[in-house]
Amino acid sequence: MHPATTRPPTGGLRAGRATRSRRGRFVPYVFIGPAGLLFLAFSLVPIVIAVLLSLRDSSTSIGDGEWIGGGNFVSMGSDPLIVTALRNTLVFTIGTVPTSMAIGLALAVALNRPLPGRGVFRALFFVPMVAAGVVVGVVMSWIFNGDYGVVNNLLEALGLGRSPWLTAPGWAMATLVIVVVWTRIGFCMVIYLGALQSVPAELKEAAAIDGASRWARFRTITWPLLRPTTSILTILNVVFSLQAFDVIYVMTGGGPGFSTTVLIQYVFRSAFIDARMGYAAALGLVLVAILLVFTLLRQRADRKAEEVL
Amino acid sequence: MPTRPSPQLARRGFLALAGISMAGALAACAGQGTAAHGGTKHIRLSTWNIPTDITSYQAIADEFVATHPGTSVAVEVTTGQFHQWFITRLAADLAPDIIRITPQQIGRYAANGSLVDISGQVPADYRADYTDPFWAIGARNDGVYGVFQHTDNFITYYNRTVMERIGVTPPTAVTDAWTWDEFLDVAREVKQVTGKYAFGYGWSGPETAYRWLPFVYQNSGAFLGEDGATPSMDTPEAIGALEFGRKWYAEGLATTGNLSKTGGGDVARNLFMTGQIGMMLNNPEPMAQLDEEMPDDWGTAPMVRNTGEASDLGGNALAVTKSSRYPELAAELVVMITSRANVERFCHDGNWLPARKSLDAADIGYATHSDTMQQFIDQGATIPLSMVKAESGQYFASLNAVFADYLDLCLLGQLSPEDAADQMMGAMRSVTAN
Repeated sequence: MHPATTRPPTGGLRAGRATRSRRGRFVPYVFIGPAGLLFLAFSLVPIVIAVLLSLRDSSTSIGDGEWIGGGNFVSMGSDPLIVTALRNTLVFTIGTVPTSMAIGLALAVALNRPLPGRGVFRALFFVPMVAAGVVVGVVMSWIFNGDYGVVNNLLEALGLGRSPWLTAPGWAMATLVIVVVWTRIGFCMVIYLGALQSVPAELKEAAAIDGASRWARFRTITWPLLRPTTSILTILNVVFSLQAFDVIYVMTGGGPGFSTTVLIQYVFRSAFIDARMGYAAALGLVLVAILLVFTLLRQRADRKAEEVL
Repeated sequence: MPTRPSPQLARRGFLALAGISMAGALAACAGQGTAAHGGTKHIRLSTWNIPTDITSYQAIADEFVATHPGTSVAVEVTTGQFHQWFITRLAADLAPDIIRITPQQIGRYAANGSLVDISGQVPADYRADYTDPFWAIGARNDGVYGVFQHTDNFITYYNRTVMERIGVTPPTAVTDAWTWDEFLDVAREVKQVTGKYAFGYGWSGPETAYRWLPFVYQNSGAFLGEDGATPSMDTPEAIGALEFGRKWYAEGLATTGNLSKTGGGDVARNLFMTGQIGMMLNNPEPMAQLDEEMPDDWGTAPMVRNTGEASDLGGNALAVTKSSRYPELAAELVVMITSRANVERFCHDGNWLPARKSLDAADIGYATHSDTMQQFIDQGATIPLSMVKAESGQYFASLNAVFADYLDLCLLGQLSPEDAADQMMGAMRSVTAN
């Protein structure tokens, strides 16, 4: 006799449930499996390879070059271009992050009320964020060209004289900041707009009834409630600024001289111009470390602020 | 009546589908290397994205396939930044079999084993039809790692109206070329006429900083010593060349918007076409656009000279990469493309200058401006062997980046020519030491 036929019906049901339950336990893993595999292949493995690469005097790939431990990191100490690149990165980040967030917030506040053509304005401000960095770089190179650019022609027509937007060291960095801020304000605006929708209207109404001015309502109600959004936007914008490559590469090539050479550009140059993959990987890890430290500090500051509130 | 599949079956089906898709995606990620497709030997040739050239290569490739049964050839396009593209493909062993590569790019890959020695496949009579400098682009002491297919260089373009207004008749023969002093004298007068600047230089980005090196050689200096590896930018001749360059910007004869790093692109061409400069030192590329924008109002003179002659080293070689599964077959195709007949045809269709010395403008039969093309061909003979060896050397990609940095600083007046030379030497030494 077949064993199944001897089993009481209730036992069979229990066994079926157990099998289904066991199967059920695996189903979530099957579903997250593809994403996990992609993460493994395109994030985790490259990170591990980058770490291993940074410990080698490698010119092309992971298997190449001799093992030098922390040699690449030690070499950075005697590389004068690193200091320049770090300083430029800092200037660029300070120039772009607060400015784009402040303008983004101002636009978000302005567009968070009924206005004719509000949707069109929102879309227009967001368009630069969607445009490819290289395209932005090429177009802006034309616009800011000292000899036949629109900006200088306009300034000259207004009797203000021409400026060396891309050809004098101080000006070039300022021009890049202007361009990057322009591309970034749409993104900040959209994120802030979303956050502004969640600020309870009754709080602002109550404050208004109590006689609080518009600025006081913004400072004491809206701004504190936007803190989590500001925090995440700051981190994202710093990441964007540390990764800003295409616009700088196209518009100034890091020049004039070294005046706009930022760290990510130096990573690229070390890897693909100088063929020093190990050194470039080490530089990349330094960039990650800077970002990590900044993020941790920012999170700690936010926690403290929340405790005070 | 059709029955709905049970939910479990649908889920299984979904998971199976996901698995198959994943496997398919991974298989696709494996890329398309050089492989035998059903017994066919497949060769990939990668070229710059120039439609006429792609057509020319494909036509020659089709003839190659017709005479080599069991082979197939695909012409592909080299995308993005060259070194990034090529290094990553070499690392993955997915580089094309044949690569179209500039003299400034070939050195590193010939030295580090990324290119294959094809000396065994190149016919003996090829060498005789090349000048020493052009042959040296692909040849090394231990073999031949590429064959130079076509070249280009810099000559002087001028605006006819401007020249008439200042009463100057530009020279036509290389032997009568303007010296630096004569050129600067003419430039000062041109500046008076344009009201802006006098001339522009045909850089197109930081990676083309080397296009300025001919001035070092025109002043009897050298970028690297005789061994092709020792930096030599601190000689009086090299510093003299930097002083000459500094004058361009100090006197406002050239705009600071026209430097290798900043501006780049088509700045010189745009300034020339908009009348802001009356002369430009450039390669043959702008000719077609000048014909459209200012027909009959432009002419050409030889590249300037000083104690010596030199011009920019442009053009491309063809080389076989180590990723090739059929290097001998790939080398055969390189030999076929660089044959005299095919170089002639390629240069005619693409308006290129031939690398072979037995070909001139009359042989090629250019559709337009045959005289100007012959002027370029004659100018090519002034490219010195020592400059070719320096530019096609193993460290040149890095040295060129260093040159771009300090040339920029010197021309802008941020560093004096002496300081620029001194700091450039330090940076060059650290490159060659690494």
